Amino acid sequence: MSSKALVSDADIIEGIRREDESALSQLYKTHFPMVLHFVYNNNGSEDDAKDIYQEAVIVFYEKIKGGTLELNCQIKTYLYSICRRLWLKRLSRSSRFSNGLLEDTESELAHVEEEAEQAEENELKFTAMATALAQLGEPCKTLLEDFYIQGMGMPEITEKFGYTNADSAKNQKYKCLMRLKKLFFTDYQAPM
Amino acid sequence: MSERELYELIERYHQHQVTSSERAQLEERIASDPAFAQRVQDFKLLTATLQSHGKQKVLRQRLNGLHQEWKAENPVQTRTVAAPTTPPARKTPAIKLFLKQYSATMMVAATVAIVTVFSSLMGMELWRSANKQQTARYVELRREVDALKRKQNALLQDATTTPRASVNPGQFTGSGFALTADGYFVTSYHVIEGADSLMIENKAGNRYKVVEVYSDQVRDLALLQVIDTAFHGFGKLPYSFKSNESDLGERVFTLGYPREDLVFGDGTLSSKSGVYGDTSSYQISIPLNPGNSGGPLLDDKGNMIGVISGKMLGVDGAAFAVKSGYLLTLLEQLPASRLPQPVNLPKTNSLAGTSRPQQLKKLQDFVYMVKVYN
Repeated sequence: MSSKALVSDADIIEGIRREDESALSQLYKTHFPMVLHFVYNNNGSEDDAKDIYQEAVIVFYEKIKGGTLELNCQIKTYLYSICRRLWLKRLSRSSRFSNGLLEDTESELAHVEEEAEQAEENELKFTAMATALAQLGEPCKTLLEDFYIQGMGMPEITEKFGYTNADSAKNQKYKCLMRLKKLFFTDYQAPM
Repeated sequence: MSERELYELIERYHQHQVTSSERAQLEERIASDPAFAQRVQDFKLLTATLQSHGKQKVLRQRLNGLHQEWKAENPVQTRTVAAPTTPPARKTPAIKLFLKQYSATMMVAATVAIVTVFSSLMGMELWRSANKQQTARYVELRREVDALKRKQNALLQDATTTPRASVNPGQFTGSGFALTADGYFVTSYHVIEGADSLMIENKAGNRYKVVEVYSDQVRDLALLQVIDTAFHGFGKLPYSFKSNESDLGERVFTLGYPREDLVFGDGTLSSKSGVYGDTSSYQISIPLNPGNSGGPLLDDKGNMIGVISGKMLGVDGAAFAVKSGYLLTLLEQLPASRLPQPVNLPKTNSLAGTSRPQQLKKLQDFVYMVKVYN
């Protein structure tokens, strides 16, 4: 890790914006040991560290992509703060005595309440979506994924799934979507 | 509008493929119908989530790939390589964790313990002080002769000397003094209470048998008479009886038998009333002990002013004596039929003006130990 030339924060952000794979790689590998160390020191495993670190990176990544990133500290501090907050929340949920286990007394921490909450929210939403999709079954799952995620057009889908015409493919798509909706909203309640 | 038509419309709306009239209609309905707006919102959330879920899945995969790379680059740091099955060791010491987790509980427990300890200590202290107040009570000063000691003495005598008729010292003893030269004698009622037979004995060794003539439980006075055949009169009494009350602060003294020998005690008259405001008694500041009861209380001039009756336990220097005035009233009120012979009280006082040792020398023959057998 130390053998590599350290890339500055601005370069990394710029790299991610340009979809540069090495920038994301650089970012990921530079800051992960710090989070790993923190989680290790607070009763966590490497998998826990990986999980929350990736959540934080995803929030960071999407903020860059969405152009809503307001970074007024180092990326290192930013990521650390999000991870710390997420991990504390998880700890307090898993143990009834852990309130006060770790207080956010470090004044140099960035204010990342919003980011942490977004990460949590994302996790809830995507877990619900993943279960809903799994319950949906084939061919609905693939059909919806092709249309909404891969961005395939209706003609391609009609061809791929062997429907007689685009209309019946559309019909099938809406049926699938309605079932997904039902499954998704039984699992997930949008915060008011 | 069916769900499907709605979805198609909304989809077209989001993709900006609706006619301006359709758009206006839709927007108006969203504004006016909250339930409809919620449906639109739900649809939006669903599709958006579906889309971003796909994106994130891809991103996750990328990150997982990066993670594997990182792991390959840093095999030493990953502890799962070193110990694949065991969870990472806790770096925080166990005792520290324990303290953190249970400190609140422990503090509550400690508080309860402290409160309990102090309240029970306070309770015991209160109880003790309540008991202490109870000990300040009036006691009558007749003396119970130590039975154990007597038995021991008897044993010693048995072992060393030939057995002889031992003299029974009696169950209780008190003091008393001569009232008239011809054999009337005064002591406290509580001294002779429940007696079968009574003996009096003075320092000179004169022992006489006496009988109870009259007793007044309320004033705690008893009138006795010597019936012994060896008795030929007490002799001329050196003191006279005072009928009116003495003054506060007057120097007073007494003679009595708190033990086997005659004991002198002196002090002052400290109050004209006795226990609980009893006006028939004086309070006097003379150190008294069990056995002093029934003894005479005299003033400086040798006037008999009272009969010792008791003291207050737990209160310093508070002893009591029945006023001589009440003794005289008692004698006056007694019908002549109750008296075997008239009471001729001494009229003259030969103690006035002499020194205390002189007074005591004259007095000691007239103060007796009263022995009670029952």
